[in-house]
Amino acid sequence: MGRNSKSKGLSRRQFITRAGTGAVGSYVLFPALGKAETKNLSDNDPQQKYLLGDNPLSLSVNGKNIKTKVRGNTTLVELLRDHLNLTGTKVACNNGECGSCSVLLDGKVVYSCHMLALDAQGKSVTTVEGLMDGNKLSVVQQAFIEKDGLQCGFCTPGQVMAATALLSKNPHPTKDEVKEGMSGNFCRCGAYPKIIDSVLTAAEKLNS
Amino acid sequence: MKRDIENHVTGISKFVDDFPTLDGTLEAYLFYSEKAHAEILNIDYASALKSEGVADILTANDIPGENQIGGIIKDEMLFAEHEVEFIGEPIALVIADTKENAKKASNKIVVEYKDLPVVTDPREAYEKGLLIRPPQIFSGGDVDSAWSGCDVVVEGKVDSGGQEHLYLETQASYAVPTDSGLKIYSSTQSPTVVQRTISNVLNIPMHRIEVDVLRLGGGFGGKEDQATIWAVLSALAAYKLNRPVKLVLSRMDDLKITGKRHPYSSDYKIGLSKDGKILAYEVTFYQNAGAFADLSTAILERTLFHAANCYAIPNVKATGISCKTNLPPNTAFRGFGGPQGMFVIEAALHKAADVMGIDVDILQQKNLIADNDVYFYGQKVENAQAVNSWQTADEKFNLDKLKKEVRNFNEQNERFKKGFAVMPISFGISFTNSFLNQASALVHVYTDGSVGVSTAAVEMGQGVNEKIIEVCSRTFSISKNRIKIETTNTTRIANTSPTAASTGADLNGNAAKIACDNILERLKIIAAQELNAKDSEKLSIENEQVYLEGQETDLGWDELIQAAYLSRTNLSSHAYYATPDIYFDRDKNIGSPFAYHVYGTSFITVTVDCLLGIYKFDSVKIVHDFGKSLHRLIDLGQAEGALAQGIGWMTMEELVQSANGELKSNTLSTYKIPDIYSVPDEVIIEFLENSENRFGPFNSKAIGEPPFMYGIGVYFAILNAMKSFDPNLELFYNAPITPEKVLLALYPEVKV
Ligand code: FES
Ligand code: FES
Repeated sequence: MGRNSKSKGLSRRQFITRAGTGAVGSYVLFPALGKAETKNLSDNDPQQKYLLGDNPLSLSVNGKNIKTKVRGNTTLVELLRDHLNLTGTKVACNNGECGSCSVLLDGKVVYSCHMLALDAQGKSVTTVEGLMDGNKLSVVQQAFIEKDGLQCGFCTPGQVMAATALLSKNPHPTKDEVKEGMSGNFCRCGAYPKIIDSVLTAAEKLNS
Repeated sequence: MKRDIENHVTGISKFVDDFPTLDGTLEAYLFYSEKAHAEILNIDYASALKSEGVADILTANDIPGENQIGGIIKDEMLFAEHEVEFIGEPIALVIADTKENAKKASNKIVVEYKDLPVVTDPREAYEKGLLIRPPQIFSGGDVDSAWSGCDVVVEGKVDSGGQEHLYLETQASYAVPTDSGLKIYSSTQSPTVVQRTISNVLNIPMHRIEVDVLRLGGGFGGKEDQATIWAVLSALAAYKLNRPVKLVLSRMDDLKITGKRHPYSSDYKIGLSKDGKILAYEVTFYQNAGAFADLSTAILERTLFHAANCYAIPNVKATGISCKTNLPPNTAFRGFGGPQGMFVIEAALHKAADVMGIDVDILQQKNLIADNDVYFYGQKVENAQAVNSWQTADEKFNLDKLKKEVRNFNEQNERFKKGFAVMPISFGISFTNSFLNQASALVHVYTDGSVGVSTAAVEMGQGVNEKIIEVCSRTFSISKNRIKIETTNTTRIANTSPTAASTGADLNGNAAKIACDNILERLKIIAAQELNAKDSEKLSIENEQVYLEGQETDLGWDELIQAAYLSRTNLSSHAYYATPDIYFDRDKNIGSPFAYHVYGTSFITVTVDCLLGIYKFDSVKIVHDFGKSLHRLIDLGQAEGALAQGIGWMTMEELVQSANGELKSNTLSTYKIPDIYSVPDEVIIEFLENSENRFGPFNSKAIGEPPFMYGIGVYFAILNAMKSFDPNLELFYNAPITPEKVLLALYPEVKV
C-alpha cells in the first residue's frame, strides 16, 4: 500500500505486545486480544505505568502546539477524536485496513488508527480540519466538490488526506499513479471514478 | 447555505459517533452468543457486574414491554432467553462508564451452553423443514404444458453468495432521556421502524420517542432493518438508567453480528423454440434467510418479481422458499433479492445458448420485453425501454465490433483471454408492500425568504437531499442556496417509510413538490394583490422574480415573502404523496405492484489471465434509463457505485463461514471489497434519451439499485473468457467467481 505507518518508533510486534498486555483499549485495536489473559502487573511496573499512566506528549496538530498526557496504548486517532475533539478523522475498521483514518504525519500519509499517539511525539500532524487556509478550501477539497468525488462522505476525509499527500509528493500524477496513491483508501459507495477525477483535477489546478 | 458536500471535505459533517456527548453519557456493549445454535443452561453475571465502571447489565428481564423486534414476522427476540440461534444473537447489554470497561465486563460473563445441531445450508434447512414461512409461488401461463412444445430444454443449478454491506460507518445509536421520553440519534434508514420498535419494547407510546437522523455513512439496505436493534438497545438502557447511552459497533462485531445479502441456491429449467424464443421458465429459489425473518420474505418476493429479468416469457413458474439457518438474519442489500433472481435467468440463458451453440446475446435480445407484453405476475408493460436501451447501446458502442475485437484478441493470445457479455436489466420501482409507498414533507418559508424542508428521506450518500433541494428550487424557481434540508425526524415527519427500494427521491421529492406548490399558490394570490393583477393564474416566478403574463415585474422573492407574511399568509405546508395505481393481490400473487420499471443495457469486456486465474475489467459500457435526470452528476455517481458493488458481489466478495456457523472472513483483509483498482479501465455511462416518467418528480427515475445488476454481466464475461481458453470447460454458475474458482475450474485435474 506504499504506506509508512509502521516504522515509527515501535515495531508492529512491540505495539501488539503493549496493546495486548494492557487489555485496556486493546479491544478497539485487536478485538480478539480483548479476551486474552491479562498479566497481573503491579502498579509500579514500568510497562504498566507506560500503558495506563500519563505519558507526556507534545506535538503539533494542524499548526497548533499541543501538550498533553496520554496512556501508552492510546492510538493517534483516539487522541485526535476523543481528546482533541477532531472528529473529522473517521474510524471505519480500526485495524489499518481501510484508510478512513488517514492523516498527515510530517507531511506523509499514515493510518492514525494504526499508530500510537506517543509515536507522534514532536511531530506535526495534519487532519482534514487543518487543510483550509482560513475560510478558503484547499485545492484538493475544491476538486472533490467540483467532481463530486464522494457519496456518503464517510471515507472522504481519508481520501482528501491521501490525495493531499500524493500531490505534494507527485504534483503531476498519471491516472495509474493516482490509483496507486489512493489505493490505501476504500470507498464502499464506490465513488472511485469521481475520486480519480477529483485528484486529477486538483493536480491540474495546482499546476496552473 | 453550505452544502453537505462541503462539510464532508472539510470534516465538519458529523455522524453518530462524532456527536458531542452529554455529561453523564454511558457506553453500551452487547454481550452476544458465541454459538450458532445452543440451549442456554446457565448465565453467570456475578463477576461482570462487579467489574470496573459497570453501571448495569440488562437482560430479557429488564424489558418493560415485549421482548420482540421482528418486523414482518414476529420471530426475533431482543434478548435470547433459553436458546440461541446464531453467533451474535443478543443475550445481554453491558453498560459502563467507558466502552473499554463495558467490553471488559462482558468478557467476564460466563454462559453454559448445550450445543444443538447447526444448519448453514438453505437446501439442508429445507430438507429438515426449517422454513421462515411456507413457500410462495408466482406464476403466469402454464409451464407444465409448455415443455412439450419446446425444442430445447435445459436444466441446472445456480448459486450466489451473500454480501457484507460494509457501510463504512458501523451501526450506531445514541439515546438521550428527555422530559417526556427519549430522543434517539440513530444511523438508520427507517426512523419510524426504530420509533415503533422502541415503543413496543419499552411499552410507551410512539409520541414519547423522537428519532432523529442526520445522515448515514452508507446504508445499502444494511441499516433498513438492522439499525433498529442498536437503537432499541441504547434506548432501553437510557430509559432504565435515565442516562444518555451510546452504542457504536466495532467493525469486527458489525461484520460478525449483522446480516448480509441473502445467499441463494436455485434450480432452473428453461425451454426455448429453435429460433430462440423463451417459451417456459421454471425456477425454485432456496433463500438462506439466517435465523430470523427480518425482511427475508419481502426480499424473496422481489426475487420472484425479477425472476424473468427484462424478458417476455409466456409461461413462468417461480417458487420462493425462505429457509431458516443458523446464520445472522440476512437482510436488505441494494437490489433486495432482485439481483439473485436475475442472476439465475441469465445463467439459464447462458447455458441454453451454450447448448444451442449460439451467442447468448442473440437469445437475450430476441426476448426483450416490450410495451403491451405482460410481466408474468400480471403487470402490463408500459413505457418499456428494454429494446430502446439495447438498440441505443448497440448504436453507440457497436455490439458486433466489440464481440469481434474479443474474438480477434483471443485468436492471437493464449494465456490471456478476453470475455464479453451483455447485461440488460429491468428493475421494478415501488415497495412491493404497497402501503409503504407514501411520504410526506414539511416545507417552511421563513420571513427572510430562506426555506427549510423536512421529509422522510434519509441521506446516506445517494444524494436524496440534493435532489429534494433541486425539486424545491425548481418548483419555487429560487436559488438552491436558499434551501436547507433538515434532519429526518419523527416529530416533524411522522410515519416515515424506510428510505429504501430506490424510492427515496421519488416519494419524498413528490411530497416536497406538492408542499412547495401549495405555498406557491398562496404566494401567487399575494403577488396578484401586490401587482393589482386580477388573475393569479397569469403569474409565475422565475429566478426569484415575479412575472405577470410573461413580463418581469419588480416584485422579487424577498418582497413577496414579506408581503405574504404581513398579510397573514401561511408560509408553511405539510404535504402528502402516495404512489397511485399500484396494487398486488397476495392471495393470487397477481397485480401491478410497480409504479414503473427502470431499464438499461451494458456491454462488458474482461481479460482473464488463464495461467493465474486473475482477471481485470476492461470496459463497461452502459446505456441507462435515468428518465429525465434530476441531477446528472449524482445519478452518474450512483450508477458507478452500484456497478462497483455489483461487480464486487459477483467476483471478489466472498463470505466464508465454518461449519459451526462462524464467520471466517471477518476483517477487510479477509473479505475483499472493490478498491480503486476494481474500477473497470473504461466506464462509459450514457443517458437514454426521451424516457418519460410520470411517477418521478420532473420525470426523473429512481437510480439507487438498478445499475447494481449490470455487475452480473461480469460473471458471464469471465466465464466466456474461460470458455475460449478451454472450449471443454464445464460451465458453472456459482458466484462469486473468485480468481481461485477460475483457476480451479481451468485446471480441474489439479487437486488441492
Ligand atoms: S480506520 Fe484506520 S485504516 Fe481503517
Ligand atoms: S463516499 Fe461513502 S464510503 Fe466513500
